[in-house]
Amino acid sequence: MTTGTAAAPLLEIADLAVGFTTRAGHLRAVDGVSLTVADGEIVGIVGESGSGKSVASLAVMGLIDTAGTVTATRLRFAGQDLLTLGARARRRLAGAEIAMIFQEPMTSLNPCFTVGFQLKESLRVHQRLRGRALTAAAVALLDQVGIPDPAARLEAFPHQMSGGMCQRVMIAIALAGNPRLLIADEPTTALDVTIQKQILDLLVALQRARGMALILITHDMGVVAETCDRVVVMYAGQVVEQRPARALFARPRHPYTAALLDALPERALGRRRLPTIPGVVPGIGDRPDGCLFHPRCARAQDVCRTDRPALAPDGAGWVRCPLPLGDPA
Amino acid sequence: MLRYLITRVGLVVPSFFGLTLLTFAMIRLIPGDPVEVLAGERGMSPERHAEMMARLGLDQPVLTQYATYLGNLLSGDFGISIVTRTSVLEEFLTLFPATIELSVAAITIAVAIGLPAGILAAVRRRSVLDHGVMAVSLTGYSMPIFWWGLILILVFSVELGLTPVSGRISAFFWVEPVTGFLLIDSLLSDEAGAFGSALHHLVLPSIVLSTLPLAVIARMTRSAMLEVLGEDYIRTARAKGLGAGRVIGLHALRNALIPVVTVIGLQMGVLLAGAILTETIFAWPGIGKWLVESIHRRDYPALQGGILLVASTVIMINLMVDLLYGLLNPRIRHQR
Repeated sequence: MTTGTAAAPLLEIADLAVGFTTRAGHLRAVDGVSLTVADGEIVGIVGESGSGKSVASLAVMGLIDTAGTVTATRLRFAGQDLLTLGARARRRLAGAEIAMIFQEPMTSLNPCFTVGFQLKESLRVHQRLRGRALTAAAVALLDQVGIPDPAARLEAFPHQMSGGMCQRVMIAIALAGNPRLLIADEPTTALDVTIQKQILDLLVALQRARGMALILITHDMGVVAETCDRVVVMYAGQVVEQRPARALFARPRHPYTAALLDALPERALGRRRLPTIPGVVPGIGDRPDGCLFHPRCARAQDVCRTDRPALAPDGAGWVRCPLPLGDPA
Repeated sequence: MLRYLITRVGLVVPSFFGLTLLTFAMIRLIPGDPVEVLAGERGMSPERHAEMMARLGLDQPVLTQYATYLGNLLSGDFGISIVTRTSVLEEFLTLFPATIELSVAAITIAVAIGLPAGILAAVRRRSVLDHGVMAVSLTGYSMPIFWWGLILILVFSVELGLTPVSGRISAFFWVEPVTGFLLIDSLLSDEAGAFGSALHHLVLPSIVLSTLPLAVIARMTRSAMLEVLGEDYIRTARAKGLGAGRVIGLHALRNALIPVVTVIGLQMGVLLAGAILTETIFAWPGIGKWLVESIHRRDYPALQGGILLVASTVIMINLMVDLLYGLLNPRIRHQR
């Protein structure tokens, strides 16, 4: 598998920031997100709720509404500069080359239209299919995502299906434009545990079969360990660490990554209590000085309280910590 | 959908029954009786009064009167007007098209302006346009209709001479009543210019009558759209790469229309029953004006029948709105 540092990455993000102007002032939900995704790679983005994972991916999709401002030193997809691309061209990219699925499959589908209508709509726009070819393509897609009796399901409304089935339909819609990159934003969080595994397996199988890149946003380290080539750890709107999955799980360098891994139940066998990280992610309006993680970090020194660390190259990856754990790998 | 349908239709029967009771009782609560009004200022001897009351059946105990009234209703007899001595149903059917014509024109204006205004306000939330639309609609909502009508007559009819002051059509035309709807009848007749005159007479009253529903529809559309625009499936629609027109005009509007259609239907009912002020101001020969006159004359049968017929129409419209709501909402349509 590629590591993302290959010659021409599919997606390149450098210093992405997303701010919202509110009555309380200008608030930055995402600040300093840098990452690359290569063709055919699975990248996991992990972090607690409120760490800016979803906002960052919505910014890539161009779905931040007018209340938000998106800035970056670099935001490129397949050689195109997304920052200078016109609205129309950007829209043509979204849904086709880059597709996205969301956390709540039941509410992500329009309750007033049939599954077939919503799927065919994407096929019409992105593949210019009409008539019988359109229906055939829709049935084929539903079949690909493992929906039984796909032809009959075209007539179904979202409320007539389970959450897992709705997520499969969402995946089918996302695939309608033959995307080179699929962003899955917590695709299994709202589903039953047994269904979660099925959906993850489906995503990985589709990724392999189609050779598309996959960004898997999750707060579940277990999911990341099972599926991802490379991991990006986010905290309070920033990327704090990124490296190949194996290296990250073996030797985490950022104290936050280490704490997340320690909190995995399967790693805490034999201990009386599951370790947790004290405190909560700082809110969008009350970010601390210095390192954003220092109030919750057991290793924090004076330098952590005063200086905001930068994301620095570190072995096969990057880390945002002046005092990383262990040796670079 | 079948159970939904049966429930809705089932509700109509008790509503109708309650309505007969209400109209019957309330009219009798008004002081005075029809015979007194007929006698006028000259007065009448108590013997003559009693005789007249007996002839109209008003000397019977109230419950007996009600039973007779209900019995007649069930055989389709709405009674005879005390004053005009003609069938209440016939009179109603002659006048009702005028009211329908006015109401339909008003609701058309209200929807044609209110719906797009509400959508625009929601899409451009917190913009000058949004605040403007909301301010205007709040003004419209709180406008006393009689005052508003008079102001418009003063400006457009009296000062500018753009529109007629009152009536449905110029006195120079005689149009044979076929459907009762002047816009249609004037087209059917050979009178040149009759249609234009009818339309000309319709403009101002329908604008006045549309003011309130327009405000209600604009506000309702805005809030429904705002709610829908924040839904996950709108984000999905945008993520699919659809244009703003399709996202707003199809994905959002289709969902927002469910409550809006309900409001439009209810407003149509309000218009049919509530055109009284507008009809009075513009001397529009419809049901509203007729009912007001019947109240003054204590014309019990006309009032009872008239109110019942108007209310039944409103009930039927509400029933249709309920059914339409079920049709528009797939989640109800598929209920068993």
